[in-house]
This record gives sequence, structure tokens and C-alpha cells, in this order.
Amino acid sequence: MTALAQLQDAFIACLHDDDAPLPPGLDATRAAGMAVYRNGYRARLLDVLAETYPRTARLVGAEAFHQAAAHHLIVHPPSAWTIDRAGEGFADTCADLFAHDPDVAELAWLEWAMQCAFTAADTAPLTHAGFAAATAAFDAADWEQLVLEPIAGTALRPVTHDLPRLWRSLSDESGHATVERLEARHWLLVWREGEEAVFALLPDHEGVALAAAVGGASFGEICAGLAERVGQGEAAAAAGAILNHWLQMGVIESIRAD
Amino acid sequence: MHAVTPFAGFGLGLRRDHYRDFLEGEVAVDFVEVISENFMVDGGRPLRILEQVRAKLPVILHGVSMSIGSAQGLDADHLARLRTLADRIDPLWVSDHLCWTRTSAHNSHDLLPMPLTRAALDLVCENIDRAQDALGRAMLFENPSSYLSFPHDEYAEWQFLAEMSRRTGCYLLLDVNNIYVSACNHGFDPRDYLAGIPADRVRQVHLAGHTPGEIVIDTHDRPVCDAVWALFARAMALLGPVAVMIERDDAIPPLPELLTELDQARSLAATARLEAAA
Repeated sequence: MTALAQLQDAFIACLHDDDAPLPPGLDATRAAGMAVYRNGYRARLLDVLAETYPRTARLVGAEAFHQAAAHHLIVHPPSAWTIDRAGEGFADTCADLFAHDPDVAELAWLEWAMQCAFTAADTAPLTHAGFAAATAAFDAADWEQLVLEPIAGTALRPVTHDLPRLWRSLSDESGHATVERLEARHWLLVWREGEEAVFALLPDHEGVALAAAVGGASFGEICAGLAERVGQGEAAAAAGAILNHWLQMGVIESIRAD
Repeated sequence: MHAVTPFAGFGLGLRRDHYRDFLEGEVAVDFVEVISENFMVDGGRPLRILEQVRAKLPVILHGVSMSIGSAQGLDADHLARLRTLADRIDPLWVSDHLCWTRTSAHNSHDLLPMPLTRAALDLVCENIDRAQDALGRAMLFENPSSYLSFPHDEYAEWQFLAEMSRRTGCYLLLDVNNIYVSACNHGFDPRDYLAGIPADRVRQVHLAGHTPGEIVIDTHDRPVCDAVWALFARAMALLGPVAVMIERDDAIPPLPELLTELDQARSLAATARLEAAA
């Protein structure tokens, strides 16, 4: 390791830890300058997390959010070249720190997914007409092997709380958080609609099916999974309904038959 | 490496608070500068807005994350994305800072100070060569503000910048406020700094506000102070045609306020050049 690399490692250690020794060659007269860099580092990253997770901050309160954000930055100091990724994984941190309030981690996940979708690649969703044209000549084997490609920025996860309602209730500073537990598990879907990042709550069977599609499962595999959840007799109708819904929402970019 | 053609004009940093002003009206600036990393994304509204502004005005891409002083070298993904953005926007030029921001494991997201040694100069020049090759263009590098210096420095900062420019063919972005801030913090004479910079390599000048104190901090959150205006006038008497801009990144005022401040830069620059010519 070069002397410069050693100095830079030691400098970063000083930013992370008040008690770390100053880099080689720097005496105590440089401590005040180092403190400026250390304070700037922490303030900047805390600001980024506050900008990324404004609703989560409102939900838990300013002090609890500050502590959670500081903890996250200590445990997961940023490494990516873009500061926008400093908040990555904060939902997992919230799941640990607010283990008895799973709505906190669910809301943090939603805020992160919305930020990612906002700058995802520009792609046009497949329309009903486009889908019909692309599948017009399909035989049974083609349908079995059909793979649905979601549009860029699509993300989903299971949730136990009414996130759309919670999101709306925290839209402004004065909002009082409405935390309502759902009767059954649902899935929260985030995607890009034009230039807007949007989200929707999906019933469990549809969320499981879309998660499988996002993971690269074929339509045949998705239908087999649906049959286990809704029964063999209902599976075909359910598959048609959810496929129609995905096209309607605009979450499918293209299809291929492997 | 192609030369960077001078561009004489006065501009502002394009910030989110003023997007609408730039998209819907005619703003009296000759160019805008954007933070490159804010637009090194896959898609979405930010890129569309930048392209719309670019259709009206020349754009400068100013980066904060290249980290040309990193002992571990440059980040390939960062370089590739910057190249993609530059090809898409066709900027006046691409700039970054004489600083380092990261190690192989961590990123400070701050412009950290370089030790000004021969070994550091060799490394910085190697990294600049790689960046300019990857981008297919000569770049500009800005003098940083700094809050500590290294006792084993072998160059003054202006000497380091001059040698760096001579060896790599890169150009310089002279931040007059940063000179003032570092002069206060390290006790050098800012006039020596200006006199030591190769004027023919400077293509752009930054102006900004700072927070006074025992250590002066470059905060970009207030108007340019009188001492920095005076240093700016001195710089403009020495430099050739350059692009001058005001940076404001915090406590951002309505656009007319910044345009008034930019008028002051125009006026001071014109007077300084007239006096220098007399």
C-alpha cells in the first residue's frame, strides 16, 4: 500500500470515528480542520437520508429518525460514487431498529423504491394491442414458455400495512400518520408511469405471481403457482385477470418466448 | 487531446429551485453549469429537463465524484456514465476538482484535500490522463477550498495546479472564493496564488459565498463578500476570456437575486479589464 493510500484510509477513518488517530504526518494543530471535514461528512449524509425518507422521518419523529439515520451511516458507510445511494438498505436498518413497528420498514422501502423508479431507464410499457399482436400466433407451448419483462424501476415486496393510506397521511408536515394493519398480507408494487414513480397495493396471489415474473419465471410457472394458491379451477381465470391488470397498469415492457 | 476553446460569458449553476424559470422563460445568462452526477442516471425527468435547458443554453458539466486524487485510481462505472452524459449533452466542457473523495472501501462524498507532494502529483496526472482518454476530451479541474494542509507538502497549491496542467494538458477552473477561503485558513497571500496560476490555462471562474470564522468554510449559502469581489476583479485583470459563474447550493434565493449578483460580476469584470488594458 502506498503512503498516499495509507493516508487516505486514515483520513476516512477520522471521518467515521471521533477517536481515530490523525493521519500520518498530521499533528494536533490539524485537529480543528479535521473536525470541519468530519462534521461536514456527517451533516451531508444525514441530510441525504432526510431528503430520501421524509415520510419515514415524519412517521417516527425527528429525533428517532436522526438516531436511526446516524446508526445506518455508521453500520453502512457509503461506498458508491453517487451520494444518492447513501440511503440504500435503510429499510433493513429500520426493520432492525423498529422491529415492533413493521410499518416503518415498509414505508422506508417504499420511499427508496420510489426514488429508484424516478430515475430508472426510460422504457415504454407494452399495450394490450401490442401484447395481442405479439401473442397472436402463440400455441400452448409458447404460452407455457412466455416470459414477461417488467419495465425498468419495477420493485415489489410483501407488506402488512395499508401503505397507500399511510403515504397519503404523511404527505405534508402537518399530517397525522394513519397506520392500519391489513387483514391479509398484500404486496406493494412500485413502477414508473411516464415520468412519475407510482405504487399500488396488490392482493397476495397477484403479488406472488408478479414477483415470480420479475424473477424471470415463465408464464407456465406463474400459472402453476397460481393454481396452488387459488385452486386449479380458478387458476386460468386468475392468470388472465392479473395479466390484464399488469398490462393495464403498464408494468410489462416486453415479452419473449424462450 | 483537443484544446478547450475559450467561452466568454456569465452564467449560473442550474438548481432544482430554478428549473421552471429556465424551462419557461428566457433567463439572462450565457450558460448554465450542472452537477454531472445528478444527471448520470438511467433516465427519467432530470435528464429530460437537462436536455430541454440544453436546447436553449450551453451547458457545463461540473463533477464532484471523479476523485482524481484517489490512490486507488478512478471508478470505471463513474467514468463510463460521465462519458455517456457528455456525449448526450455536448457540453462546453467537463470539469471536476483537485481532490479525492474515496478509498477502495468508502466514499466521503466530500472534496478532501490532497497532500501536495511529487508522488501525489504523479498519481493525479496519471488519473487525469486516464479520465481525459476515457472522455475523449481535455477537462478542467478546480482548485478546492481546504481546512487543513499537510506539513510535508512540496508545492504551493498554485504550483501543483500549474504543473498538473502542463503535464496533462488539462485546463483550470479557478474558484476565487476557494482561493480566499484557503488563504484565510492557511495564511498565504491570495495575490501570490493568482500570480502563480498559468492564466492561459484558465477557462472558467467560480464565485460563491462562505461562512467566516476561526476556520473559514466554503458553504455556498450566501452572497459573494466584498473581499472575494476584490480578488475576482484582480483575477479578471489577469485572465483571458473565461466563463464566470456564481454557485449557490444552500439557502437558494429567487433567481432575480442571483441575476443581480451576476450583473455585479459583469460590471466588475468589465471595469477590471478596462483598467488592465489602460
